[in-house]
Amino acid sequence: MTTFMADAVNLAVLGKGLMLGLGFIGPSIGIGLIGGNYFQALGRNPETAKWFGQALVFVAVVELFGLLTFAALFINK
Amino acid sequence: MIFGTIFSHFADDGPAVHIAPGGVLHLGPLTVTNSILYGWICIAVMCVVLIAVARRMSVKPRGGLTQFVELGVEFIAGTVESAFSDRQRARRYIPYFVTLFFFLLINNWLGLVPGVGEALTVRGIPLLRPFTGDYNGTLAAAVVTMLMVYTASARESGGVKRYIRHFFVGSPLNPIYLVIGILEMITDLMRTVSLSLRLFLNVTIGEIIIAVFSYLGHIAAPLTAAPFMLVELFVGALQAYIFVTLSIMYLAAVANHGGDEAHEPLTEAAVPETMGASPAAEAG
Repeated sequence: MTTFMADAVNLAVLGKGLMLGLGFIGPSIGIGLIGGNYFQALGRNPETAKWFGQALVFVAVVELFGLLTFAALFINK
Repeated sequence: MIFGTIFSHFADDGPAVHIAPGGVLHLGPLTVTNSILYGWICIAVMCVVLIAVARRMSVKPRGGLTQFVELGVEFIAGTVESAFSDRQRARRYIPYFVTLFFFLLINNWLGLVPGVGEALTVRGIPLLRPFTGDYNGTLAAAVVTMLMVYTASARESGGVKRYIRHFFVGSPLNPIYLVIGILEMITDLMRTVSLSLRLFLNVTIGEIIIAVFSYLGHIAAPLTAAPFMLVELFVGALQAYIFVTLSIMYLAAVANHGGDEAHEPLTEAAVPETMGASPAAEAG
């Protein structure tokens, strides 16, 4: 009866959930911008289709930050 | 309370995942980890298959595996040649990058074979683990690649002094350019970390996702894990390509400069140049 909600709920799980959710916002926006701008460029100049591989390279650069968030899940204490 | 039991059960119960390699064999004072064990197996497979393919190479096109290996070699060779402004220069670096690409690609793909990863465990430690799913493995690949890139960059720009001069947009005697140049050097050193972390995290997180969905599927584990296996096939190929492309870009950015800044006198605060060779600089 004297237990508070904060003691009952495992705050580590909540914290990890919040961390994942907040940490994925940035990379998601970044990948969306890369994809959107790639297709805008493709619409203006269809010859840019040959740069698709280069766009994927930038996706990988942005994606690293999301992956780092995921890796931080496994830090104990 | 009841909330506490539910939440703690959710936190504790779940699939067993490992992000660090574990020792499975002991050879005297040395411990052989699961990732290096599987790395040796993969290297043996690679040597046998790729040497057999290289023997079968002929002018007349052949079908089967040879065709796919030829496709990969041509793809990477084309990437290297298009990144450099000088084709003859690019030819020297093709063998290393093609080898690196196939090493990473085959390690990534063989790591997806069922049974590798969390499926087979010995005393709670997976027996086999993809070599690129171990940070030591990817760090070794990144360190060797970046050492090669630094050595080749120094050679391409004509001496270590000229290579270091390349980091400074203006004169190093100007304090602002000095600080910017030192920051550029630190950024350059961080490339080793970012290259290795990207590959390691992609492969390891793929393994974790496959383990989680196999756990959720229970009896129907092959069915629930199959889509993620297919995604990981794509990610494995993409990450091998990106590792190689980024190291080619790091090398080409220096090689295409061709040491054209080195002729400027040290006291002159030059206007920052854009990346890549400009025709005017090459003529002068």
